[in-house]
Amino acid sequence: MESPIISVNNISIIYEKEEVIKDLSFQIKKGEKAVITGESGKGKSTILNSLLGFVPISNGEIFISDKKLVPDNILEIRNKVAWLPQETSLDFQNVNDIIYTPFTFKSNKHNFPSNSEVDQILNSLNISSKLLQNEIDEISGGQKQRILLASSLLLKKDILIIDEPTSALDTENKKQITDFVMSQNNLTVLAVTHDIYWIEQSDKIIAL
Amino acid sequence: MKDVYDIDYLALLSGYILLIIPFYILWYYKTGLVKESFFAFARMTVQLLLVGVYLEFIFDLNNAFINITWVLVMTILATYTVIKRSELTLKYFAIPIFIAIFLSVAITDTYFLGLIIKLNNIFDARYFIPITGMLLGNSIKTIIIALNTYYGNLKKEKELYKWYLANGAKKSEALIPFKREALKNAFNPVIAGTAIVGLISLPGMMTGQILGGSNPAVAIKYQIMLMITIFSSSIFSVFLSIYFADKSVFDDFDNLKKVKK
Repeated sequence: MESPIISVNNISIIYEKEEVIKDLSFQIKKGEKAVITGESGKGKSTILNSLLGFVPISNGEIFISDKKLVPDNILEIRNKVAWLPQETSLDFQNVNDIIYTPFTFKSNKHNFPSNSEVDQILNSLNISSKLLQNEIDEISGGQKQRILLASSLLLKKDILIIDEPTSALDTENKKQITDFVMSQNNLTVLAVTHDIYWIEQSDKIIAL
Repeated sequence: MKDVYDIDYLALLSGYILLIIPFYILWYYKTGLVKESFFAFARMTVQLLLVGVYLEFIFDLNNAFINITWVLVMTILATYTVIKRSELTLKYFAIPIFIAIFLSVAITDTYFLGLIIKLNNIFDARYFIPITGMLLGNSIKTIIIALNTYYGNLKKEKELYKWYLANGAKKSEALIPFKREALKNAFNPVIAGTAIVGLISLPGMMTGQILGGSNPAVAIKYQIMLMITIFSSSIFSVFLSIYFADKSVFDDFDNLKKVKK
């Protein structure tokens, strides 16, 4: 049997002296679309953060693509992943920066997207590529969210880790974006969301 | 050499009367700065009076060892001021910033005093101490702005920094935009100031030399060199402070530790 691409084994996380996550385990297979659900304050985003070493775990082990989460492997692990936090937490100057900043990093340079690739993916997410010429405060939260998603997908990583991917979208766009992400067969997705439609479309639910 | 008009102590004392108006304005707008400015001026007065006495003594003695010790004390005080004003923690920053400022001053002092003025003894108190003082005094403000911006933004825009890392950036790559912002913030005013020197502003050292009876041509040459060395030593200090401090302020997963209040 193929080993899971994300494997979380009995982890605990202590945040400000309180144990927010206790003895949590889950496995996600390659290509699977998984979602973490639960009330606010249950530590959903904290789990996403722990997967890439942004929040320390006090117990247990995490494996991503068969690499154990330890400092020596962190670059390799982060190179397997595209990461999308909530759109409001990211501050950019130009819309263009959202798409192209990750490709200024050495590890992504070989993947630099062509104009037609960018157009195509923006199209699928219902965004006009003209928006790329704008300054960041000229676009809406929903547009920013979709452009961030476009950037993540253009990176062509194995795993997409994404926090509240559709929070700023209207119903129609929610559906279109969800369907598009779910149709990426080789992409493994781990999301945190309250969005019912996204949850329904997912293969696996991790309830806290 | 023409005599300089001295200011007698009574006249100096009445000079403080001018401060009533700015203090009133600070008080009126409830800035909370009145007490702090009062103490700043009191400190400045005491320090300068003491240094006046001390410098006379140190100039008479003119012993290289004592001069170097004095400059080390100035560097320690500069380090402490930078850390405190940038709201950083002594634990992580005391050594890196001290070494950074010390090296920057050592390089620029040697360049200015040894190579340009060609002093026989670069530790000659009359040159070594005031020039180092000008270098430190003028670069401190810039270093504070730079470090405050850099670590402040890393804390405030933590999500952006994480977004860089998680999307394939090495730590050194993820830090570049933060360094750029810090340098821009700190050096924009310096560059603007440099561009108007002589037109709108007459710098302190030059004015002092002219008042003291120096030929304006000599005063200007000193001033030019001083502006060059202050600019260079500020950039060296900022660059080296960040370079040394960054070795200890991140954890093994590249997260910034709690280093700023």
